[in-house]
Amino acid sequence: MHIDYWRSVRQNNFAKIGFSLIAIILFAAIASPLITQYQPADYTGNIFISPSWKNILGTNDVGQDIFSHLVYGARTSLIIGCSTALLSTLISLFIGGLAALLGGIYDRLLLRFVDAMIIIPPIIVIILVSSYIKPGLVILILLLSAFIWPGGARVVRAQTLMLKEKTHVPASRAFGSGFIHILVRHIIPELGPILIVIMIQDIRRAVFMEAGLSFLGISDPSMISWGKMIQHASKFYYLDVWMWWLIPAGLALTFVVLGFALIGFSLESALDPRLKDEQSQLFKKRY
Amino acid sequence: MTKKFRAVDYIAAFIIILSINFALPRLMPGDPINAIYGDEANIAMTPELKSKLIKRFALDQPLHRQFLTYLSRLCVFDLGYSYYYKTPVIDVIIGSLPWTLLLVIPALFISSVLGFILGVESGYRRGSPIDKILLSTLMLFQGFPDFFAGILLLLLFSVTLSIMPLSGAHTTYSGLSGFSLVIDIVHHMALPCMALVLARFSSIYLLTRNSVISTLKEAFILTARAKGCFERAIMYRHAGRNSLLPVVTATGLQLTHLITGALFIEIVFAYPGVGGLLYNSLMTRDYPLMQGILLIITIIVLTVNFLADLLYQKLDPRISHAH
Repeated sequence: MHIDYWRSVRQNNFAKIGFSLIAIILFAAIASPLITQYQPADYTGNIFISPSWKNILGTNDVGQDIFSHLVYGARTSLIIGCSTALLSTLISLFIGGLAALLGGIYDRLLLRFVDAMIIIPPIIVIILVSSYIKPGLVILILLLSAFIWPGGARVVRAQTLMLKEKTHVPASRAFGSGFIHILVRHIIPELGPILIVIMIQDIRRAVFMEAGLSFLGISDPSMISWGKMIQHASKFYYLDVWMWWLIPAGLALTFVVLGFALIGFSLESALDPRLKDEQSQLFKKRY
Repeated sequence: MTKKFRAVDYIAAFIIILSINFALPRLMPGDPINAIYGDEANIAMTPELKSKLIKRFALDQPLHRQFLTYLSRLCVFDLGYSYYYKTPVIDVIIGSLPWTLLLVIPALFISSVLGFILGVESGYRRGSPIDKILLSTLMLFQGFPDFFAGILLLLLFSVTLSIMPLSGAHTTYSGLSGFSLVIDIVHHMALPCMALVLARFSSIYLLTRNSVISTLKEAFILTARAKGCFERAIMYRHAGRNSLLPVVTATGLQLTHLITGALFIEIVFAYPGVGGLLYNSLMTRDYPLMQGILLIITIIVLTVNFLADLLYQKLDPRISHAH
């Protein structure tokens, strides 16, 4: 690669904020048992306590420590986001790469399928399916991946078509390398940056959708989730608890979505030469 | 991409949705009437109603016959019977659809216009303090999930300041009519509409901004400058107008997001639209109603996107002449 993407991303202020936000949430997710002494399901003895040193964000209507819910919620969010992104990017890579490399009728059929899937609004189908099966963690990840991948597949296909035209691919084919070899050794390494962009967008969408589903109350009831905290807390508008129950959960969710959006945005502008900071002198003079 | 092929995509998408709708309840364990209508409904239903429904949807027939019956029932908009509201599903949905459109259409208009104007202003002044402030603020907005944006507005204006109504679409039993009723409805829809705009207009803004930035590099902008055009004219007549194309396509897609966003925001404001209805149907496990709502929303979304596609081809002669 001729452009050092990593450097241009690192110098971007948006990316810095994004990475810091994600780092905080990641720390909370990994070190949850160290940060809070309570388990989310523990009964602390009192309901609706205001924040104190013992319970940083007080307790909820059934006497559970809210801070521990917040911290463990980071785990759910990130696990679902990352696994879904990994799985759906793999599907995108497989379908998009396959379409571009096989070409001909396969390409056209796969592209039709991808386009049909893109049109389907994922959240609606996911609400429909999960209202029947009340998905737990694993099923939810599979379900989200099944409807998030098509956008990425289009990008991978376009990019692979471009890479396919580069001289080293026919050269490798002339040496007798097969489909898998070309995919793994020549195409995937060069797709790297694009795949990361797709993955970051997928994480953002998955986190967003999981929160939405939990907010609707149709995911597994035993799952600790920010969306569920918001749903639960919004029943108690008339009390002051929303200040330390609803707002923190919503902000945590916003920070994750925002963090990935910022990283994705800066990555995209690093990858897209048209958006690069090469402003013409003309405009600089005027402003 | 020719027109014919896009139509094929939409038909394929529609068939996928229909198949999921048809297959899902029938794949669930237990007898189909139980799965389609849920356990509670089964208890609440009289045996006569039950046998009538079984007959109407051919539930005692083999699967392919069931599918044909399902399709033919759909053609006459028979989406089943909502046992909770004790009315046909389609009537319940039609009753609440206007409320949702009342939220979505103004929100679409406001977010497109606002996003476009801010995008042009910001893209034109790229790198200036105004651009930086706009870009960072709107990036922040993009992080807000729709329902959280709604909750924040509700907490601020209705709970803390008490200047806006807490829920609903109009004051019930107030006996208002004429102009005061209109004011009352606008008063109720202001917050949900604002929440939708806040959560969604940043994508139009970002798109316009990118589009303007690349348009500004075109030669005709330099010509316009050389002619001595006014800044405003260059901004909107030259750069803005030529950046409009991707924005129009995005507006079509935007409507998808606005409708799904409205589902969540209506729940927050207990608004009597389709979203509120969906939440109720999920809470009461009124499966036919829930399926009907999701199917109708999908049909609306697909139709709108299809129209946006056609419009896009009309607006950009390059696309239809490319092949």
